Amino acid sequence: MDKIIEAFHDGINKSGRDREKMCMVTDIAYDPEVVDYLGVDLFHTNRGRAIAFATGMKLSNPNLILAVFIGDMATLGGNHFVHAARRNMDLFVVCVNDFRYRKVAAQETPGDFSRLEFSSYCSIEQPLNLPHLARSNGAVYVARWTALHHEDLINSMAEALPQAGFKLIEVISPKPELLEFFYLNSEIKHGEDTAKVGIEEDKKIVVGKFVERERETFIDAYNKQHYKVLGDKFIKIAAE
Amino acid sequence: MKALEAVEKQEEIPPTEHPMDDVLRMDRIPHIWCPGCGIGLAVTAFVNALEKMQVDLDKVCVVSGIGCTGRVAGYIKTDSFHTTHGRALPFATGLKLGNPDLKIVVFSGDGDIVSIGGNHFIHAARRNIDILVICVNNFIYAMTGGQVAPTTPRSAYTTTSPFGNFETPSNIPQLAESAGAVYVARWTSLHMRRLTQSIIEGFQKPGFSMVEVISPCAMYYSRINKLGLGIDMMKFYHDNSVIKHGEPTENLDIGFQSQIIVGKFVDRERPTFSELYKGWKKEVKTVKRES
Amino acid sequence: MKADPKNVFTGSHYIDGDVACAYGAVAAGCKYLAGYPITPSTEAAEAFAVKAPYVGAQFIQMEDELGSIASVLGASWAGKKAMTITSGPGFSLMMETIGLGAATETPFVIINIQRAGPSTGVPTSTGQADMMQAKWGSHGDYEIIALAPESPQESFELTFKAFNLAERYRVPVMVMSDECVGHMAEKVVIPNAQELEVEPRRYFTGSKKDYKPFKRDKDLVPWMARAGAGYKLYLTGLTHGEDGRPIFDVKTFEMKSKSLRGSTNRYLVDKIRHNRDKIIKFEEHQTDDAEVVVVSYGISARVAIKAVKEARESGIKVGTLRLVTVWPFPEKRIEELAHQVKGFVVPEINYGQVVYEVDRCSQGRANVILVPHGGAAVHDSDDILGAIKQAATDHNPYDRILEYTTALEREVFGENMVSKI
Repeated sequence: MDKIIEAFHDGINKSGRDREKMCMVTDIAYDPEVVDYLGVDLFHTNRGRAIAFATGMKLSNPNLILAVFIGDMATLGGNHFVHAARRNMDLFVVCVNDFRYRKVAAQETPGDFSRLEFSSYCSIEQPLNLPHLARSNGAVYVARWTALHHEDLINSMAEALPQAGFKLIEVISPKPELLEFFYLNSEIKHGEDTAKVGIEEDKKIVVGKFVERERETFIDAYNKQHYKVLGDKFIKIAAE
Repeated sequence: MKALEAVEKQEEIPPTEHPMDDVLRMDRIPHIWCPGCGIGLAVTAFVNALEKMQVDLDKVCVVSGIGCTGRVAGYIKTDSFHTTHGRALPFATGLKLGNPDLKIVVFSGDGDIVSIGGNHFIHAARRNIDILVICVNNFIYAMTGGQVAPTTPRSAYTTTSPFGNFETPSNIPQLAESAGAVYVARWTSLHMRRLTQSIIEGFQKPGFSMVEVISPCAMYYSRINKLGLGIDMMKFYHDNSVIKHGEPTENLDIGFQSQIIVGKFVDRERPTFSELYKGWKKEVKTVKRES
Repeated sequence: MKADPKNVFTGSHYIDGDVACAYGAVAAGCKYLAGYPITPSTEAAEAFAVKAPYVGAQFIQMEDELGSIASVLGASWAGKKAMTITSGPGFSLMMETIGLGAATETPFVIINIQRAGPSTGVPTSTGQADMMQAKWGSHGDYEIIALAPESPQESFELTFKAFNLAERYRVPVMVMSDECVGHMAEKVVIPNAQELEVEPRRYFTGSKKDYKPFKRDKDLVPWMARAGAGYKLYLTGLTHGEDGRPIFDVKTFEMKSKSLRGSTNRYLVDKIRHNRDKIIKFEEHQTDDAEVVVVSYGISARVAIKAVKEARESGIKVGTLRLVTVWPFPEKRIEELAHQVKGFVVPEINYGQVVYEVDRCSQGRANVILVPHGGAAVHDSDDILGAIKQAATDHNPYDRILEYTTALEREVFGENMVSKI
C-alpha cells in the first residue's frame, strides 16, 4: 500500500500536475498522514461510493483533478465504475486489487484447514477482468501493474494523470509476503487485448499498458451539445 | 366473424380459449402496456419458447424488477417475483442457489438491469450463475415518463435530456461479454422466430445467458423524438436491422436511428458457479480427510 | 445575501409541487442536482434539467440513487449547493450515504416526494410513512432537519429555506413532500430576487494552516472549506476529531475528555438541539381557547382544515398546529398545549409515526388520538371530524394513544376487528 502511495507521489511530480487542485477520493481508510505527505485533499467516503462522490466533485468544479483509489475489485461500486467509464468522466482511478490467489493460498497454508477454507471460499468465484470491463465500457487509459513494478507504475501514473477522460490503473497488491510471487509470475505485454488479460490459475499475470485512446469526456460532450442547441444562452459549469 | 355477429345480435360473446392460457395469467389481462409497445412481443416469444421446450412450468421462475418490463412477471403463470428496482438479479441468484433445480429467467428492462442493477449484472455474469436474462431495451425510462437511460442513443431527446442526450450509451452485449456471460444475443421485437430460438438456446445453456430485445416505446421514446407509432418503429427495424452472427460485441453500439446489428454474438463455455462450488466442496472434503 | 436575479423565476406560475421544488432550489442557488427517475418525483428533475443550462447548473442522471447521493456530497464539498430528489425506495437506498453526510457535516438537500409504501407500494399515490425514516434512517446517532410543505407554494418556499438551513447548520436537510402536494398544480408566486434572502456558504476565512474542518463556532456549527483550495482536507466517515482525523478513543465518544479533539458525535446532535428554537417553525390557528388541537403536517393538514371548520361550527373549541419543521420536533409547544387541552388529534397517512412524538411530549396530560391511513389516498375529513368529536367528549383518563377507527376500516373490518396501538 505504501508503495502505491509512494508511486502516486512520484507520479504527480513527474506529471507536473498541481497538487492544490488535486483531490484524492477513496473508499479505503488511509492514514491521515497521507494528506500531509501527498499534499492533496482526501475524502474517505463510504464503501463503494468513491467514484460517484468524485463524479459530483468533478461536475461541480471542473478544475479539480480527481484521483480515486478504490479497493477490492470494485465489488460494491462496480456500477459506478461502469457508468463513469461509459460517460468518460474525467477521473483517474487506481484500483488496488488485493485478491486471494487460490493456488497460493493453498500452498501457503497446507496444514491450516480453517484458513484454507476461508481462502478458497473467496476464490471459487471467477475473478473479474477489470481492465477488460473498463475498456469495453469506454475507458481511455487502462494499465495494470503489480505493486513491485514501481518505476512502471510511476510512469503509468505520470502518463495517465494529464489525460482527459476515465483512466484506470489496476495495481495488484496482495499481502506483502505474496508480492514477490506475483511480481515474478507476471509478464509485461503492452497493448495486449484486454479480453486476454483475465487472471487465471496457472497462468502468468499480464501487466502493462493495454489501452490509450481519445474520447470526448462527459463535460466536453455536455458543453458541445448545449452550445449547439442553446447558443449564447448556455452557461457553462464553472468553479464558484 | 362469429364474434362480430354476436356483437351485432347483442349476444354475450362466449369465452374462448386462448392458446397461451396455460402460461399466461389471463385474470391479469388486459395488461398495462401502451398500444404499440414491444414488450408484449417479447413475452409472446418467451411463452412460445416455453411451450416449444415443453418444460415443466412448476420448475420455472420469472423474476422481474421495476419498470414497464418489470411487470412481465405478473402476467406469466409460473412462480413469478416482482422485486425492487434493480434487484431482480440478486434475487434470482438467491433463488438459483437456494434451489439449483429451478430454471430462473430474469425478465426486465434496460434501466433495471444495466443502470441501477448494473453491478449485479456484472457480478452475476462474472460468477456465471445459471440464469437467463431477457433484457428489453426501449432506450428510455418509460414507466416514469420518458427519462434518459444509459442506453439512450446520443442526440435523442428525453424529458431529462431536454437539449439532446450527450452521454455515450451503454452497449449491453459488450458489457455482458466483458463481464463473462456465456451466451449473448440481440434481436428486435420484430424478429419473433429468431428471438424465440435464442430464448430457447439461452434457457438451455448452463451459465449466464443474456438476450437483449430492442423494443419500440411508442408512447415516450417515439413520441418525444417524433418517430411515429409502434408500427413505424417496426418498419424501421425491418429496414435497418442487419443480422451478423458472431459479430465482435464492440461493434454493437446503437446510434440515434442508426443501423441495428442483431444476431447471436457469444456462445462459449465457462464453468458455472454451481459447478465450481461442487468442485470446491469435494476438494475441501479430500483435504479434510487427508489432514 | 440577496438571491441572484438570474436564478429567480419571478412571477406567478401555475405549476405542481415538484416543479416548485426545482424552482425553489434554483432560486436558492442550487447548482447541482443528481437524480434518478422515480415516480412521483421525476417532474422536479425534469424541470431542473430544463433550467440548468441557463443558470450554469449541472443536472446529471446517475446510474442509481446510491450514486446520486454520493455525487451530491462530492458536489457540496467541491463548492456547490447540491441536492437530490427522490421518493420512497430511492430514499431507502440513500440512507447509508445520508449517514456519511451527517457525520461529515455536509450541507445538502434531499427532496423526498413520499409515496405509499412499503417497498414499491403504490408509486403513483401518496403516503406520509417516511417521517421516522427521515430522522432515524441511517445507522448511528445524528440529527437532521426535515420540513413538510403543504402546497406547491410552500414547496417552493421550503425548498428555498432548506438550502438556507443546510448551509447555516451544515446538515442534510430533507423536504418531506408527498405525492399529493408534488402532483398538485396550483398558483405559485415567486417573489423578486430582492425579497429572497440566501444564506451563503460559511467559508472559513482565516489562514489555511489554522483551518480545521470540524472546529466549531459558538453555535456549534463548524466552518466549511472547498476542495482544491489548498486546505489539505481530510474528510472521513470514521468518527473524527475537529481536525477531521479519525479517532477511536472511547472517551471521545462519551465526551468525558475536554480536549480540543472532542467527539463530533456529541456535536452532531447538539448543534441541532441547541439551535432548535431558531430552526423550528410551525403554524398555529385558533389554539388560544382550544380544547382539542389537531397536529398535522403536509397534505393531511389541508384535509384537516375542513374538519376543523366543521367542528368549530358545531361548537367544539378546536385549534390546529401545523408542523412546518417536523424534525426537530416542537416539543416545548406541544408540552405547553398539553397543559391546556383535553386531547390532540393527529391525522397522518401511516399507522402512527409523528403521533408518538406528540404523545411523548404531552406526557400523559392529554389524550392523543391517531387518525390512521394506510396510504394511496388522503384522509376523509369526516374521520378527522369524528376524531375531534371523540377527543372533545372523551372524559376517560389518559391510558395510551387511541386509534380512531375510520369509516373505511369500520366498513371493511367491523367495529372491533382493527388492532389498536
